[in-house]
Amino acid sequence: MAPRPIMSMLAPKISESTEDLRTTRKGALVTEEPAANDGAQKLDTNVPQTARIWNYLLGGKDNFAADRAVGDQIIENVPHLAEYARLSRKYLARAVRYLAEEAGIRQFLDIGTGLPTADNTHEVAQRYAPAAKIVYVDNDPLVLAYAQALLTSSPEGATDYVDADLYDPATILQEAGKTLDFDQPVALMLMGVLGHVESDEQAKSIIHQLIDRLPSGSYFAMYDGADTEPSVVEAARIWNLSAEPKYHLRSPERIEAFFDGLELVEPGVVSVTRWRPDAEAAAQPVIAQYCAVGRKP
Amino acid sequence: MIARQDSGGSTVRRLQLGAQLRALRLAKGVSREDAGYRIRASESKISRMELGRVSFKERDITDLLVMYGVEDPAEHERLLALTKQANSPSWWHTYGEVLDNWFQQYLDLEQAAELIRTYEVQFVPGLLQTDAYARAVIKLGHNTASRSEIDRRTKLRMARKELLDGPQAPRLWAVLDEGVLRRLIGGRGVLREQVESLLQACDHPNIRLQVMPFASGGHAAAGGAFSILRFPHVELSDVVYIEHLTSAIYLDKQDDVDHYAAAIGRLFIEAEAPARTPEILRGILADLDAMEDEKPD
Repeated sequence: MAPRPIMSMLAPKISESTEDLRTTRKGALVTEEPAANDGAQKLDTNVPQTARIWNYLLGGKDNFAADRAVGDQIIENVPHLAEYARLSRKYLARAVRYLAEEAGIRQFLDIGTGLPTADNTHEVAQRYAPAAKIVYVDNDPLVLAYAQALLTSSPEGATDYVDADLYDPATILQEAGKTLDFDQPVALMLMGVLGHVESDEQAKSIIHQLIDRLPSGSYFAMYDGADTEPSVVEAARIWNLSAEPKYHLRSPERIEAFFDGLELVEPGVVSVTRWRPDAEAAAQPVIAQYCAVGRKP
Repeated sequence: MIARQDSGGSTVRRLQLGAQLRALRLAKGVSREDAGYRIRASESKISRMELGRVSFKERDITDLLVMYGVEDPAEHERLLALTKQANSPSWWHTYGEVLDNWFQQYLDLEQAAELIRTYEVQFVPGLLQTDAYARAVIKLGHNTASRSEIDRRTKLRMARKELLDGPQAPRLWAVLDEGVLRRLIGGRGVLREQVESLLQACDHPNIRLQVMPFASGGHAAAGGAFSILRFPHVELSDVVYIEHLTSAIYLDKQDDVDHYAAAIGRLFIEAEAPARTPEILRGILADLDAMEDEKPD
């Protein structure tokens, strides 16, 4: 599914590699405080990475050989997983639309942004609420660089980008609080992210530390891979052989337990193809990607 | 105004048509040799057609489509329309006399791109140059050229810029080495106007600029300037473009593209974030103004 190189040019091939170059930061002329960035260390193309594998499965071009190798192995064994990835993104768009259009949410905290694709959170939200504010959070430096350049707000709204880890809700809240007003409802989004947290207790702890800071009327929206199909169990096994971070499937019941204390929005915990489906989603079967949206009372 | 076609110049049309012919031939299990025989040509002619390196005869395309079992008249029509577009002259053809052959292809690709990622160490990217700055750069490269030739070349470069305001404008995402902003191309006044223009460009929805400060030591792309073009067609790979004094290299093999994508990814990560660019540019303007004050009469 990778685009084939089809422009065969006469020019000689460049063989010199940029892989070995290391970067250092010496004194600063323009910047007062040089950021502790080190691109060569932060972008390791040899380890398959979540965001880049999903990008590949979704037909994107921002991936590297190691990511494509995992993606190809998954597709070879579970050919429909790319379609599952696409259907999950479609759910994300419907959920964001629901939150912006029907629930009146104007602030979104999207943790685990991923590489840009069609219908990114701020695009959908600002289509229905141009003044919507979106904070994207990710700990993958390439994802953040892409988000800062390509996931940019409408003039009426705002987007901001936070470099933080899912396991560090305090930092996420502190940084997101620079853009979001925690006295007003916020939609917390953990899309395809909680599968990276192995223990249910830890996942619940993360969710609650985040939700507790948000006012009544806030929402929590998520989806994740479920263990309801042998083929998806196989895909997760392949993923975990080499990709980082690992992914852990859950049953729909375990996913539902993440919403303890929240009011589940109809239709509750369902396949992503059954959550307020449009005609396209409704025509698809139930798949092993489960989702829900809950409201904080 | 440049009348921009649905997806750009003839080079990209040829690439698209070639890729589609190849897919159709493979799907039907026809060898290149047999396909060549059918249109009274050689195996290598088929190969060149599929690589988008030659123009197409409508009669050949019709014969091949019949051979490949394409029966739908609408599909025939679509591919023949693509053939006509692939053979039609590009927008720049009136500038032919001042256009080097190796650069024509770039203009076609640029015209068709949806995302242009570029790294510059010496000059402001052509798409962002002011008239006076462009004139100064062109004089450097063509110091024996007549006044009228320099006018023509400058006019062509200004015409290229319309691309960024067109209905299908690409995103231009550039990392500029700080040296680009300091080198007095055309003199202090010309550079000042150019930096002012870049400051305005920061507000353009399709332009993202990041500065790599001197403060950052050696970094991921020590090799020099390059661009990576992306096209809105799944069947077309990204293309790396590297310009030399009298020629250019186009790379589209996955391995090569990966290397350059990793290099520019690291540059995006290491460089100052796009949101910092206006502040940096204002600092450089202040330095340029101070420079005049220090100058003895």
